Amino acid sequence: MSSMPGRAKRLESAVSVCLLAVLFLIGLGVLIKQSRVDMSRFGMEAAAVPESEILADLGPLTPAGFLTLSKTEIYDAANLYEKINGKAALYLDSGFKKLLTQRFANKNDSNLWMELFVYDMDNIANAFSAYSTQKRPDVETLSFAYPRFHYRTGNGLYFVHGKYYVEEVGSSKSTKLLRAMVEIAQKISSALAPDDDTRTFEAKMTLLPKENIVPGSIKLYLASTFGYEGLTDTFTAKYRCGDEAVTAFLSRRANAKEARTIAESYYQFLIDCGGVEKTVPLAGKLPGRVIDVYGTTEIVFAIGPFVAGVHEAESYECAIEVASLLLRKLVDESTAVIK
Amino acid sequence: MNKQAGNKYRRRDFLGRVAKAGISVAAAGTVSYLLYDGTGPKPGTEPAELVTLPYFSLPHRAGQTISIVEGANRVKNVNKAIELLGGIERFVKPGETVVIKPNVAFASPPILGATTRPELVAEVVRLCLTRGGAKKVIVTDNPINDPASCFTLSGIAKAVSQAGAKVVLPRARSFKHTTLAGGKLIKNWPIFYGPLKNVDKLIGIAPIKNHHRAGASMAMKNWYGLLGGRRNIFHQDINTIITELAMMVKPTLVILDGTEVMMTNGPTGGSVSDLRRADTLIASCDQVAADSFACTLLDLKPSDLPYLAKAEKAGVGTTNYESLKPIIAAVS
Repeated sequence: MSSMPGRAKRLESAVSVCLLAVLFLIGLGVLIKQSRVDMSRFGMEAAAVPESEILADLGPLTPAGFLTLSKTEIYDAANLYEKINGKAALYLDSGFKKLLTQRFANKNDSNLWMELFVYDMDNIANAFSAYSTQKRPDVETLSFAYPRFHYRTGNGLYFVHGKYYVEEVGSSKSTKLLRAMVEIAQKISSALAPDDDTRTFEAKMTLLPKENIVPGSIKLYLASTFGYEGLTDTFTAKYRCGDEAVTAFLSRRANAKEARTIAESYYQFLIDCGGVEKTVPLAGKLPGRVIDVYGTTEIVFAIGPFVAGVHEAESYECAIEVASLLLRKLVDESTAVIK
Repeated sequence: MNKQAGNKYRRRDFLGRVAKAGISVAAAGTVSYLLYDGTGPKPGTEPAELVTLPYFSLPHRAGQTISIVEGANRVKNVNKAIELLGGIERFVKPGETVVIKPNVAFASPPILGATTRPELVAEVVRLCLTRGGAKKVIVTDNPINDPASCFTLSGIAKAVSQAGAKVVLPRARSFKHTTLAGGKLIKNWPIFYGPLKNVDKLIGIAPIKNHHRAGASMAMKNWYGLLGGRRNIFHQDINTIITELAMMVKPTLVILDGTEVMMTNGPTGGSVSDLRRADTLIASCDQVAADSFACTLLDLKPSDLPYLAKAEKAGVGTTNYESLKPIIAAVS
């Protein structure tokens, strides 16, 4: 073997290298093929298009008749402030992961341009919280099935889709821009099918009664609802009561005991803030407390794993009416003993 | 025999290589140890040159410190507001160089109200050049977003260039370190000093905006655009940094545009729905007084913004703007 001529040694090395290269290529091919497997071919759930292919670069979302005005910019938690300055805290406190932005301009009129902001908020609850707490009043909706949570203003379109909160901000009020924004929204929603997380989240919202609800008024506060630190992950919604719009709130806790503890501590918070408990008998025998806070009525109660109530109602009667509505709905949902 | 010879050779070769590798590792480790700086850079190290911003304020003139003009046209309003304080001739003398600092923080369209409106800045440029006789007017800011995009997309670059001003974008060499006497945060910190060096007057022009962190962004907060470095760290103590900025910057005049006020989702906004018409413009030689009145357009009280009281305590100005007897007028 040691007497193997140099030419033979070189040939042996070359063959070995070739074999290793072939094995490497086979491995690479398997890896690539496996990452693109379409489960629907095997009668299983269709695979969603990988997120990395859709939202790693916003360029492919360029609407018809528009050009990219800038490259896709990507921001993370460390440099988000470089894009939105003091507003960064709002997102960072809500699970923000990254932001992608890009500008598009109309091919025929460069003054018509828009900027797309895609916030990856890690999950739909975070995304919905960012969306709903910034939602502008007196807005319009469009006839979309998805993205379900959306609204438009004079110059913008805003929506949640899965874990993404998306803003499309136009340079002016323009139907051309609006059409382009709608096109982008539909591209995103058709590329990313609603997942289990979305369906579970939407089911949580159904805990709020539909009767008399002001459409589009649901908000989600992840922390410090109404200024109270202990009241987290809380849905709020407005309900019509005569000329008044009353805010109801609802937070699902881990168990009934925790719900009772939080309801009691929130009550104490209201008292500490200058509230005075009302001793008036509750209509409908509400299992909670009624507090007058500087002329507005607060109601808080715990039922099963839920903490719920009414916030800053102008009239006592409307506060009772809305709280009763909420209670009836939660009684149906809860098997826990009413405190 | 051949195999043994081969093994013998390999062992020797192996030992030789191990020895060489060991020497290499030891040498690299020794060099690294010698070069290792366990203490890191010393934050307190003073740079060779510390600068101080010039004092641009004018002597107090009783009864002509703050003017408030109501009207839908911001260009007419600013003319009236400055006229009520004695005219631009009071603030700008022939041959002087004036720096105007608008809020150009974001690369967003004027319609959003996140940046100073271009027609307002352009009008002040014209006043300085034509009536004040200024030799040169510089318009500058150190924006949050890409500077060129901010000046272009806000419409300010085009508007002020047409009015005869020079736009100065931040460059690395424009920043010098400063320390604010009595300051807690502005210590050996880079500021956008270049455009303010060797100029005579400084005018701040800002929109009135809701601000998620500070509560409101107005005249005093506008000086945030003069900070360099990783200034976002100051958001942790936003009231102190705004106070210190107001202590550091002594402007000739501040102008606050409340024609449309950003009531929600500030400081970036993002929708015309965030704006509410207030049809008001304020010109003031006292930036604390200007902000104290302006916050009422955001449905706030001066006491809602801790930095106003802090600035007053530091002697920057007064939150009791009524004590200055504001000159109030309406323009049709």
